[in-house]
Amino acid sequence: MTTIDETSPSPHPRAGQPASGQDGDWAVEVHGLTKRFGARAAVDNVDLLVPRGSAFGYLGPNGAGKTTLIRVLLGLTRADSGTMSLLGVPVPAQRGRALARVGAIVDEPRFHGHLTGRQNLKILAAARGGDAGQQIGPALDRTRLTQRADDKVSAYSMGMRQRLGLAACLLADPQLLILDEPMNGLDPAGMHEMRDMLRGLVDEGRTVVLSSHLLDEVERTCDQVAIVDHGQVIRQGPISELTGAAGAAVEVQCSDPPGAARALGQPAIASGITVTEVGLTVTLAAGSAREQAAEINRRLVAAGISVYGLRPTHARLEDWFLSVTSRLGEEQ
Amino acid sequence: MTQHSLTAGRALSWLPPVPLIGAKFLDLRKRTVLMIVTVAFTVALPVIFYGIRLLFHLSDPARYAPAGAPNAFATAGTLMDEFGFIVAVALGATAGTADLTDGMFRHLVITGRSRLALYLARIPAGLSVLLPLAAVGFTVSCLVTAFLSSPHAAGAVPPSPGAMAGAGLWLELDLVIAFTVGLGLGSLMGQRTVPVILLIVLEIILTPALATHVLPYFLDGQRLVVGVAMDQLKPAALAGGTRIGPGGGPGLQIPPMPTWAMITVIIGWILGWSAIGAWKMTTRDA
Repeated sequence: MTTIDETSPSPHPRAGQPASGQDGDWAVEVHGLTKRFGARAAVDNVDLLVPRGSAFGYLGPNGAGKTTLIRVLLGLTRADSGTMSLLGVPVPAQRGRALARVGAIVDEPRFHGHLTGRQNLKILAAARGGDAGQQIGPALDRTRLTQRADDKVSAYSMGMRQRLGLAACLLADPQLLILDEPMNGLDPAGMHEMRDMLRGLVDEGRTVVLSSHLLDEVERTCDQVAIVDHGQVIRQGPISELTGAAGAAVEVQCSDPPGAARALGQPAIASGITVTEVGLTVTLAAGSAREQAAEINRRLVAAGISVYGLRPTHARLEDWFLSVTSRLGEEQ
Repeated sequence: MTQHSLTAGRALSWLPPVPLIGAKFLDLRKRTVLMIVTVAFTVALPVIFYGIRLLFHLSDPARYAPAGAPNAFATAGTLMDEFGFIVAVALGATAGTADLTDGMFRHLVITGRSRLALYLARIPAGLSVLLPLAAVGFTVSCLVTAFLSSPHAAGAVPPSPGAMAGAGLWLELDLVIAFTVGLGLGSLMGQRTVPVILLIVLEIILTPALATHVLPYFLDGQRLVVGVAMDQLKPAALAGGTRIGPGGGPGLQIPPMPTWAMITVIIGWILGWSAIGAWKMTTRDA
């Protein structure tokens, strides 16, 4: 059964977005969606709400069902049950209308290798119809492919194919972009460039749904996330709220990290302790972080351990993700 | 939000727009190896055939008939038929599978364009590549027959312009059948090699066998093979001056079919395989 984090009952639209509850508030709206392959549910009774104008991360480990959900949303495969809409238009009932303003990359972007990038875009523009053909030049410019647009795609690097995939998305002048692992195969500079492009698209009021297992990139790019595992959405909400719920942390530099961990664990004053080479990372429980840091210092001094430094940090998406998934592991 | 029916989405339109046909034409035309083979089997083949005959005739006119002798027209037609069939099947299977194997199918589906329109666009696109080239090759054959023929030396009357036109239409129809069957089977199987092999076996081995041997209790089945029906419609000019059609003729051992039955079989193969290919296209996971 799908559960939505009680700390974040629903995603919050950005300022200026229509209030929730009205038809068309959500760029993506999914209720009770299930897709089975034989006895295995790749997508299991999923509820998902993506507010318009946001960058939304769809996170999960490999095989969690991320790509399957995207394929169902885009009509690449059929669902077994559930309801869904894109930009307020029900799919698959009105798939053509819904996809007219949607751009998407699913899995690794592949194209006709014997054709140039521009020719591939011409084919896709012809399929889209309308004025998509006029968007080819601007899309190539925006993805910085103009110089290589007349080279055959077989000569493109993975990063260039990713950018060509994004250019193909832009042909639709999309209100919604659904990107499956768009950072795959990109070098650090390429990832930075892609991130800037995606943020630029969001700043224009478009919605970007980003499926990824690269937590750091999602944290840098997205406003909100949903965590999926074993086909189910287990948490969903703004990153700041979710990581805030995971609690703050204190990095402790001391003379005897294992001894410090024992001193802090009896009785426990933290929700989590990780021993590092130079000290500890202590995840704090709810309450005053300053008082807890002071208590940590007192306990360590009392135990005869030299404390060289205490540095407060905030929990990152990765920490939260790992805490959620480890909790799941314990439940199982 | 509306409850969806979990059936295929409503298509915007099943008719492919001209730019979409042009896009598929571009894809096929830019496949270098495929185009070389297509030109070789449709244009270069008759040119080389008549060139060799011309050289032989020039070297020893008493021994070798003129390049454009009537029997040469029939032989060239047979060569163009057999090799044209193969290249048409290859072109059809490529048109039916290239988007899938190249990873473009997914991009195309995401555009929201009707899958049926995507499939139907392949038919005029592929035929636009194939039929003009076949027409060029056949025109070479007609010109040589018209201007380099010597009825007395060959001992036969050259085919009339009308007969040559009929032969050309028959050849083009055979290519249309081969292309649409290759397209449908390729789309069904999702790969190119096996459909091409299967259809070559059908054309080269099964069809001649079924056309020349009566199988007891299976005569109607034999008649359902498109090649058998096409053989019975074959113009006299392509049969070496002897018509094999209703009433039978040399080489055709099974009882002749009524003309309406031949036409029904031919249309059935074209529409049937197109329907199968389109069905697979519209239901395939992308």
